Amino acid sequence: MLSLLLLATPAELKVSHRKVITEDGASLALHRFLPLGRASALPPVLLLADVGFGRPLFDFKGGGLARWLAARGRLVYVAELRGQGASDAGHSLRTVVHLDLPAIAKAIAAERSGPIDLVAQGFMGTLAIAASTRELQVRRVVALSTPVVQEEPTELARAFLSTGGRFTSLASSPEGFGMFEQLFALGAEIEPSVMRGLAGSTRDLSSGVSSELLAWMETGDLPLDDGTSVVSRLKESDRPTLLLLGLADGFTPSESCVPLRGMTKGKVQIQMFSRVVEGDDFAHASLLLGRRAPAFVYPSIERFLAATP
Amino acid sequence: MRGTDQTVSLSPAGERVGERAFLLCLLMTSCAALRPIPLPKEAELHRAKTDDGWEVSLTRYKAVGETKGFPVVLCHGISANERNMDLDEQHSMARWIASQGREAWTVSLRGTGTSDTIDADHKRPGPIFFDDYWRHDLPAVIDYVKRTSGASAIDYAGHSMGGMVLYAYLSQGGQGVHAAATMGSPTRLDWGTGMESLLKTLGPVFVSPESMIPSGVGALLASPFQGAMEDGPFQRFFYNPQSTETETWRRLMVYGTAPVSGGTALQLISLMDTGQFQTFDGKIDLRADMAKITTPVLVVAGRLDRIAVAPAVKDGYRALGGPKEWLLMTRANGSRGEYGHMDMVIGERASTELWPKVLMFFDKATPVAPLPSGPPEVLPSIPAAR
Repeated sequence: MLSLLLLATPAELKVSHRKVITEDGASLALHRFLPLGRASALPPVLLLADVGFGRPLFDFKGGGLARWLAARGRLVYVAELRGQGASDAGHSLRTVVHLDLPAIAKAIAAERSGPIDLVAQGFMGTLAIAASTRELQVRRVVALSTPVVQEEPTELARAFLSTGGRFTSLASSPEGFGMFEQLFALGAEIEPSVMRGLAGSTRDLSSGVSSELLAWMETGDLPLDDGTSVVSRLKESDRPTLLLLGLADGFTPSESCVPLRGMTKGKVQIQMFSRVVEGDDFAHASLLLGRRAPAFVYPSIERFLAATP
Repeated sequence: MRGTDQTVSLSPAGERVGERAFLLCLLMTSCAALRPIPLPKEAELHRAKTDDGWEVSLTRYKAVGETKGFPVVLCHGISANERNMDLDEQHSMARWIASQGREAWTVSLRGTGTSDTIDADHKRPGPIFFDDYWRHDLPAVIDYVKRTSGASAIDYAGHSMGGMVLYAYLSQGGQGVHAAATMGSPTRLDWGTGMESLLKTLGPVFVSPESMIPSGVGALLASPFQGAMEDGPFQRFFYNPQSTETETWRRLMVYGTAPVSGGTALQLISLMDTGQFQTFDGKIDLRADMAKITTPVLVVAGRLDRIAVAPAVKDGYRALGGPKEWLLMTRANGSRGEYGHMDMVIGERASTELWPKVLMFFDKATPVAPLPSGPPEVLPSIPAAR
């Protein structure tokens, strides 16, 4: 019996970690999850977490989307951009587009040439979609609550960003943790230990980035260094996109994300989750690490990315 | 001597009959225990006649103390009636508004409450479409309230479909509204939710325009079981227990619900299919015409509204052409609980967290105009049945 069980246990996923150096010398963390079993011929999948978060959003204590996709044959990369996880500090969101993503793209292309599939969350996701018109060669996009228009921040979000976006303070007190829950995991079906671990894995924003974010929320656009802006680039995007939304997202609310449909040249398909059908309203973090994410969110992502022209 | 503990043995069939009889008795007694709370004695019942010959019922709540501002018309959503706006003393937007010195009027749209419904014998063959509410009912209501109150205009608060009725009315040049608030009123319903695909598939199969869906009866029968299951389907769909108590919700199910006309249901389901807010015949793009609206509108959404999800409500806000404000009800904006769809009208704290903001919006929309001097035209009111 034991031998049968051992036979049934899937082989261990191979995960490797490396540093990628940007053109201006910053060090970024790139984590690779090799496909388990027979590798898919489909492009590698690049996963990008929102500001403040990093790899744990996709790879937490043996679970998460990265391993889930790799177990289904996809080559997966999780990149931590400036200010995230194990990467160097970041002082502007614009460097994400102009320096970080080109360096990550180059590193991935050195291992597997051709376009990538992109799964990207929140503001970082919006920046990545903007980069897909220039710096990143992308086949298909899964956008996770990516805001694209002006939205008056809630009182809580404003208070959080105007005091510097100190994520780590959210994990250090019951009051801060309550704020974390409201912003990122409102009413979520999520293991308390996962939420605590996730909150503890965040990094503070720099004052520059939190100011940029607040201004971006208030104006609906972010100017870039090449004379374009995020919105002007989004209008050029022609990649097929699946926009996944949680009803309870308190950081990048769904109402700020849905205008992506109609803004880009490519087809944008929207899927919104709620407690009525899926048993969870899904918020910013629980969309990826909630108890029900593997049952509802991950399969949608996999199906969309499995499509071939 | 036989023992005193006697048991009666029933056959399996007899047991089933007994169980059913017991459940029926339980249901009947539970429903009976939840009788409607009568309207307050100061409520006046009125009826307005529409231009196509239907009567819609109105209830008037005179302002307490000195009258300020315009009368406020309160309109319910789909599968509902005017009692949504006056459920009981503690949950009454109408009485709260009257207590603030504003005259309040609640309305039951055709086919709901005590308003006329489909009746071929009385030249009302139906069907009832959403379009009938804004083309016929609302103009009649506004005209009636203005004439009865002697006001030059009204303020309007619409919940859910009640807000959509206003959008449609104003978009087609409707007059007489000084300022408005919509609460949980969507203008687009194609958001890729699981419920959409279900309704899109089943709706046209089971619903005909001429039918009346007996959702009110269904709600009445389901009412005794509310609260029996934690996080049950009604709770998930309609209200948030952080904001509305189960007992309040149960009461709404007993006397605040109404049948849904098939025509209206199909017209709203088409919003899920096409993403277009338009007339049933598809000839008028109501959403596009909302750009012509100049009436100030406060647009309210609930963060955890799972019927009119926030982007669906925001879509209406974006479409509005005139002065407008957006209000998202959520703890992140200072409310003590998250707001679902029904919490905006029957929530335990709506009278302190939401309605004052609505009234404040009406007050500041333009300087409060005194009601015209002189006695208003007196229209007959129907004695209230209590």
